[in-house]
Parts: sequence; C-alpha cells; structure tokens
Amino acid sequence: MNSQTTPTNYSIETENLSLWYGDFQALIDVNVKIPDGQITSLIGPSGCGKTTLLRCFNRVNERYGNVTTKGKIEILGKNIYDADVSLPELRKSVGMVFQRPNPLPISVYDNILFGLRIHSPVRSITQAESDQIVEEALTSVFLWEDLKDKLKVRATSLQLEQQQKLCIARLLPLKPRIILMDEPCSALDTKGTFAVEELMEVLAGTYTFLIVTHNMAQARRVSKECIYMFLGELIEHGETQALFETPQHPKTADYVQMRYG
Amino acid sequence: MAIFSMTRPELRKKIALQGIAFIIVGAAFIFLWNTLKKTQAANIQTPSSSRISGTLPSLLSDLNLILPISLLAVLFGVAFAFYLEEWLPTTSKVRSFIESQVAFFVEIPSLLYGLLAITVLFSYADVSKEIGTPPIQNINEAGLAAIPLQHNIAMFYAETLVFIFMVIPVAIKTTQEALRSVATPIRESAYVLGANHWQVLANRVVPLALPRILAGGCRAISRSLAVAALLIGVHIPGTRGIPDRFMLFLGGALLLSTISSFLIEIYVPATARHG
Repeated sequence: MNSQTTPTNYSIETENLSLWYGDFQALIDVNVKIPDGQITSLIGPSGCGKTTLLRCFNRVNERYGNVTTKGKIEILGKNIYDADVSLPELRKSVGMVFQRPNPLPISVYDNILFGLRIHSPVRSITQAESDQIVEEALTSVFLWEDLKDKLKVRATSLQLEQQQKLCIARLLPLKPRIILMDEPCSALDTKGTFAVEELMEVLAGTYTFLIVTHNMAQARRVSKECIYMFLGELIEHGETQALFETPQHPKTADYVQMRYG
Repeated sequence: MAIFSMTRPELRKKIALQGIAFIIVGAAFIFLWNTLKKTQAANIQTPSSSRISGTLPSLLSDLNLILPISLLAVLFGVAFAFYLEEWLPTTSKVRSFIESQVAFFVEIPSLLYGLLAITVLFSYADVSKEIGTPPIQNINEAGLAAIPLQHNIAMFYAETLVFIFMVIPVAIKTTQEALRSVATPIRESAYVLGANHWQVLANRVVPLALPRILAGGCRAISRSLAVAALLIGVHIPGTRGIPDRFMLFLGGALLLSTISSFLIEIYVPATARHG
C-alpha cells in the first residue's frame, strides 16, 4: 500500500517520541512500528501513556497549551510534525473513536455526512450521492437494517452500542487509512462489545486499527500484535499470543498474569 | 508528498484570507466607533422645557444614548471572550491577568460605576456645571438646550468609558462561561473528523453556546440600563420626572434580567441535555 516511501508496510512509525504535559513527562523515548492493515492493541495500567500515545497520532493533544513533543512520528511515510502538514487532512486520514460514544447532537444522517461536508465545497454533494454514502457507511457497520427508518432521529438518542457504531460509521466516508480507538467498548455491555469487536475484525483488512484497552481478554481476542506500556515507556511489543503466553520482560509478565499492583 | 500535506498555494490562500478578514473586522470597528461618536455627540441634548419632559421622550433619548454603546461593547466583549477562550492557551500569562481583572470588574455593583461617572469623569470633563445651568439663549424651537459640541464629545467619552468598563467584563465573563459549557467530547468529535478551528466554532460550539451568549449580552445591557438611571439624573437636573424615570429604568433593568434568566432556564437545559 505504502511501499514507495517505506520498505515494509508500517502505517505508523515513531522515533524517540517523548511528550511532556508541563513538567510531567508522559512518554519516554517511544519507538514503535505499527503494521498496516491489522489490529494492534495497547495495554497497560491506567496513567501510563497509552491514550497520550494514541492521541499523538492525530495531533489532538496539541489543543492543550502545555504539551511539548519531541521526536518523530511518521504516518504513511510522512512526518506529521513537518511544517507543511495540514491538520484537517491528517485527521481525515487518521480517524478516532472515543471511550464514550460522542455522536454530534444532530441527526444520524447529518452525523455521517458531517465529516464529508466540512471537507468539500458547499453543495458539491448531491442528494442522491449523500443518500448512497449514508447507506454504504451504515451498511458497513451493520446498522442499516436498524436505522434505515430512523435517519432523521437525533443521534444522541440512540442506544449506546448504536452510537458507538455510528461513531465508527461517520469516519468511513472520509476514507481514513488508520482508525484509533480509545477504549471503545468500556461504555458498552457484553453484547455491544461483541458487536464492535466483530465489526473491527471485518474492517481490519481495509483499515489499520490501533486500540487502547483495559480489557485483557479483548486485547487477546481481537488484536494480532500487542504493545505493553508502563509509566510512559514502551516495555514490550510483539505478537499477541506470544506476549501473553511467553512474555519477554518481567514487568509484562507481572501485568498479563495479573500479578501487577 | 504525503496525502495530508498542505501545498504552498493553499498556505498562501489561507494567509491572504486571514489578512483580509483582519482588515475587514478592524475597519468595521473603526467605522462603527466614528459613526457612533458623530451621531451621539450631536444627540446629547437636555430637555429644559416642560413641553417635552414626559416619560417617553427621555426614555427614548436615553435608550438612544445607551443602547448603541452597550451593543458595541457587548459585541466587543463577545469577540474578545472568543479570543481569550479559543485562541489564547490556558497557560498564557496575558489570559490569567485579563481574567482576574474581568472577575474584579464584574463584581463591582453598577451603582458605583454611576457614581464614578458623576463624580470623577463628569467633573473632570467639566460638563456637569454646563448641564446644570443651560444658557437660556441656547434653547431651540424644540425646547432643547444645545450644549457646545466639544463638551458633548467629552461627555461621550466619559460615558463610553463607564459603559465599557461596566458592560465589557460582564459580556466577556458570560461568553467565556457559555463557551466552556460546550463539552470537550463534542469539540473533539468534530476535530477528529478533520474540522478546522473555525468549522468547529461555527458548526458545533456557537449553536450550543448561543442561548447563553445572548442571555449574557442581555445581562450586560441590563446592567448598563441600571446605571443609566443615575446618568439620567445628570442629564436632566431640575426636571420633575426624575424619580419616575429612576423607577422606570430600574424596572427596565429588572425586566431585562428576568428575561435573561428565563432565556437561560428555557433554552440552556434543552441544549445541555443533548450536549
């Protein structure tokens, strides 16, 4: 997919990435390579920088004034801290799903078209096109059957599971390459969790997923590779099964075998 | 070149657009200010004859004096609050300084501003004596005593200063609170879809914060109306209707505060529920 710029298919590569919130160093020399087109999970105890690392990849962190970043992040072969990077375009390629479903307080239909509308000139999308885009997006997250009669309903009044799926669906019309997920299932029940995981597995070939999770079973179920972080440092990165069954680092072993804390 | 980098023409276009917007806004403010100064200075006249010293003419003449300045001040305050809240980082020293000053000015009762206007600014401008004894020969056919123009301008500045110190902090404070009331997840959900700052403001933040911003503007203007009650006393000394007008303006202020609190009650919970 991206072989012109990088020899191996890595979506995200970081080099000595360090990040400070004021005086507090949240990330310490993180070097990671995230392969293209599969699900990678980030695990670790609370406050160890998983979410911070995730939020570096679409530069949402910078909205807070006291963040300092050093090092290099290459996404699809391009250093995202270069001066000529346009944030809207970066965020178009790197979508994000949050812990709590946060659809915009407008209708389901408008939610899905929101991203597309802000990226295209006024009235450049016809009614027929937008109908088709909405149908495609909802079909690919298995919501079309449930919601085809409720397109004008306010998105915040849906069930949580549907809201979270809608949050994934509204990224799809922008044709992102990478989807970042920050504990996408922590607000959902077992059924909802299962539905979102199933959806991720179906979409994994097309998009690169990076998922932060506290649920070890989930990391084991869905991800192909797994990253363990502890106090801002990347401790171990490897195949999920190997990391869980034969961890190389004692800290990882403590955590995955529940001896941590 | 990667898919998300910005090309040089795009950058140039962005910078040019920002420059043009800056010039337009600046020119609009200067134009408004000059028009106000001209029209207001010509309009400050004191009714000295009983023919027009009813409730309605003085009500209208004082509204004519107060509303344009207050509206301009509210506009400026809202714009300034947007700059503080949306563009200055939270760690900025300038921001914390301005916020502490605003908090100080908001807490001063509006009555004190009126006293300030009368005692300090008006005596400094040496206008109060002139108004107190309008020269008889200056009374025109409408029964209005024309005040010399340079005094009008001095008075205009004095009043404007008071109104600005009184209205702008309230507008800044309420607008800031309104902007903060829009939950972070809503902003972030728009940001991660690739919206730029202006699009997030126009599409998401302003629609949700608008009722609160309007109510804040209403509050700011009602505050200026409350102090207007005192200024009327300065404008028309020696006429009989002062107590009536005083009550009228206090009533007007009370009404506006009630309306603004109703606005908050009715509209804000409705939007906050979905926020």
